[in-house]
Amino acid sequence: MRDTGHDGTGWHADTDDLRAYARGELEAPRLWSVDTHLLACAPCRLALAEATDSRALDLGWERLDAELDAPRPGVFEALLMRCGVADHTARLLAATPVLRASWLGAVLLVLLMTVISVYTVHSPSLFLALAPLLPLAGVALSYGPALDPTYEMALVAPLHGFRLLMIRTVAVLVASLGLNGLASLALPGYGLRALAWLLPALALTATGLALTARLGQVTAPALVSGAWIALLAAAAATGHKTLPPFTGVGQGVAALVAVIAAVLLHRLRDRFDTASAPSLPTDLAHRSVA
Amino acid sequence: MTTRPTVSGSGLTVRYGGSPALDNVSVRLQEGVTGLLGPNGAGKTTLLRVLATAVPPDRGAFTVLGHDPGTGAGRQEVRRRLGYLPQNPGFHPDFTAFAFVDYVAILKEFADRSARHREVRRVLDAVNLSEVRGKRIKRLSGGMRQRVALAAALLGDPGLLLLDEPTVGLDPEQRMQFREVIAEAGRHRTVLLSTHQTEDVAMLCQRVIVMAQGHVRFEGTPAELTARAAGRVWSSTERDPQARAGWRTGLGTFRNVGDPPQGADLLEPTLEDGYLLALDAQSVEAMSA
Ligand SMILES: Nc1ncnc2c1ncn2[C@@H]1O[C@H](COP(=O)(O)OP(=O)(O)O)[C@@H](O)[C@H]1O
Ligand SMILES: [Mg+2]
Repeated sequence: MRDTGHDGTGWHADTDDLRAYARGELEAPRLWSVDTHLLACAPCRLALAEATDSRALDLGWERLDAELDAPRPGVFEALLMRCGVADHTARLLAATPVLRASWLGAVLLVLLMTVISVYTVHSPSLFLALAPLLPLAGVALSYGPALDPTYEMALVAPLHGFRLLMIRTVAVLVASLGLNGLASLALPGYGLRALAWLLPALALTATGLALTARLGQVTAPALVSGAWIALLAAAAATGHKTLPPFTGVGQGVAALVAVIAAVLLHRLRDRFDTASAPSLPTDLAHRSVA
Repeated sequence: MTTRPTVSGSGLTVRYGGSPALDNVSVRLQEGVTGLLGPNGAGKTTLLRVLATAVPPDRGAFTVLGHDPGTGAGRQEVRRRLGYLPQNPGFHPDFTAFAFVDYVAILKEFADRSARHREVRRVLDAVNLSEVRGKRIKRLSGGMRQRVALAAALLGDPGLLLLDEPTVGLDPEQRMQFREVIAEAGRHRTVLLSTHQTEDVAMLCQRVIVMAQGHVRFEGTPAELTARAAGRVWSSTERDPQARAGWRTGLGTFRNVGDPPQGADLLEPTLEDGYLLALDAQSVEAMSA
C-alpha cells in the first residue's frame, strides 16, 4: 500500500518516522522533510492517520499548521535568534526603527571618517569627541511618536513603556558601542586611551534619556549633545594636551554622571508609560481634505 | 440601564496649550456599539486617546470595567482589557500581517509562543485575513491594512474596543465588509467608534454621542437623534437664508434644517438632520465651507 500514488514527490515517509512524527519526537532535519512531504502527499497523510490515534494527529496538524504560518523571521530577526535572543525579544527589536542597515551603515561611515582623521592629524581627540554622540543619537532615534510608526499602539499595550524602551536601548547600545569598539581596534597606537569614549557615551545616553522624560524626545538629546560639544570646545581652548573628559579624573566624573542619570531615569520611568497630548500627531492631512 | 457601565467618566479635560480640545466631558459606555460623531477637530481623537490611557487627562477621571487608569496598577489592568485602533495606525511595512499582529501580541504580554500564535490566527480569521497572513504589509490594500490593525486590537478578546475613524479611506465595498466585522465584534463587548459619517452610525450603532468643539452635544440612541429634527426640516426651491444649514438635493430642491418659516413644506427627518441640528452654528459653517 505504501508504494502507490507518489503525488509527484518521488518518495514516501517511513512508517517509523511517521510514528515518531505523530508523537512529536521526530528530530530536525528529518522532521522538516516529513513536514513538507506531508503537505504534498495524501497517501502519507493517510498512513499517518493509521499510524496514530486521531488526537495525536490533530496535535501534529496543529503544530504543522503553526509552523506554516509562523512568520519567517527577517534576516535581522533570525540573526538575533541565532545569537540566543528569545523570539519575542527579537521581534520587539526588529520593530525598533533605528536598528536598520541604513543606520548602522551611516554610523560605520562616520566612524571610518573619524578614524582616518585620527591618522592624518595624529590625535584621537575628534574620534573621542564624536564616538559618545553616536549611541546618544541612536537611542534617541529608537522610539517615540515621530519615529516609531506603532508608537500609539505600543504605548497602550500592557508591556510597560519603560521596559520596551530599555530593551531597545540595550540593543542600540550593544550595536553602537560595538561599532565604536571596532573603530578603537583600528587605533592600536593609543592603547587604552582609544577607549576613553566609553564612559562619556554612557553618561550622555543616560542623561539624554533622563531629560527626555521632562523635555521631550527632540530637545533632550539636542541639549545634551550641545552641552558635550560646548564642554569640549571650552576644554580645548585651555590648551591641555589631553582633553579633561579623557583624563583619569574626567573618566571618574563621567562614570558618576552616568550613575546619577541612570538613577534619575529609573525614578522617572512611569513618564514613559503615557504620552503628553501635544506629542502625539494631529491628523493634518485628513483635516485639509475635509 | 441596569448593567454597570464599561466606561464611566466625568470632567474630562485636555488642553493643547490654549483652548481645550476636550472640555469637561462626561461619558458612560455600555455593551454594544456606540458611535462618536463629530466634525474634524471636535475632540474625538483626543477623547479616544484619553480612554485608551495614551494621554492622561489634565482634569477629570474615569474608570474602565471598574479599574482606575489614574494609578500605575489600574492603568495596567485597563490596558489588559483594551483594544485600540488609532486614527491612521502605523505599521512596520516589512512585517507580514502575521508578524505584525504577533508583534502586538508580544506587547500585549502573550508569553507562551504557541498560545500566542493560536491567538494571532484567531484574530486574523475574525477579520477574514487568513489567506493573506503571510503577505508583507506594504503589499496589502488600505482596507486590508485597516483590518490588520483591527485584528491587532481584537487580541486577547478585550472588553472595551476603541476604534478611531476606522472606515476613513475605504471604498464603499470595503466599508461594508468592515462594518460587518465591527458589528460582530460589538456583540458581546463595548465598542466606541469615532466617525464623521452618519451612515456608519445608522448601520452599526445602538447609541450615539455627538461632539463639537470639545463638548458633548448629544447622547442617546440614533432614533432619538433623528427625532430631534422632527418638524425642523423643510424643502424649498431656493436656499433659505433663515436655515441653520441647507443643501441641494438630487431633486434640485433645497433641504433646510433649523427653525422653519410659517407654512414651510416639512420633510421626514433623517439621522443627518438630527446630527446637523445637534451641532452649533459655527461647526455647521465649518463643515459646509
Ligand atoms: N498634537 C496636537 N497639538 C495641538 N493641537 C492639537 C493636537 N491634536 C489635536 N489638537 C487640536 O485639538 C482639537 C481636537 O482635535 P482631535 O481630538 O484630533 O479632533 P477630531 O479627532 O474630532 O478631529 C483640534 O482643535 C485640534 O487642532
Ligand atoms: Mg480624529
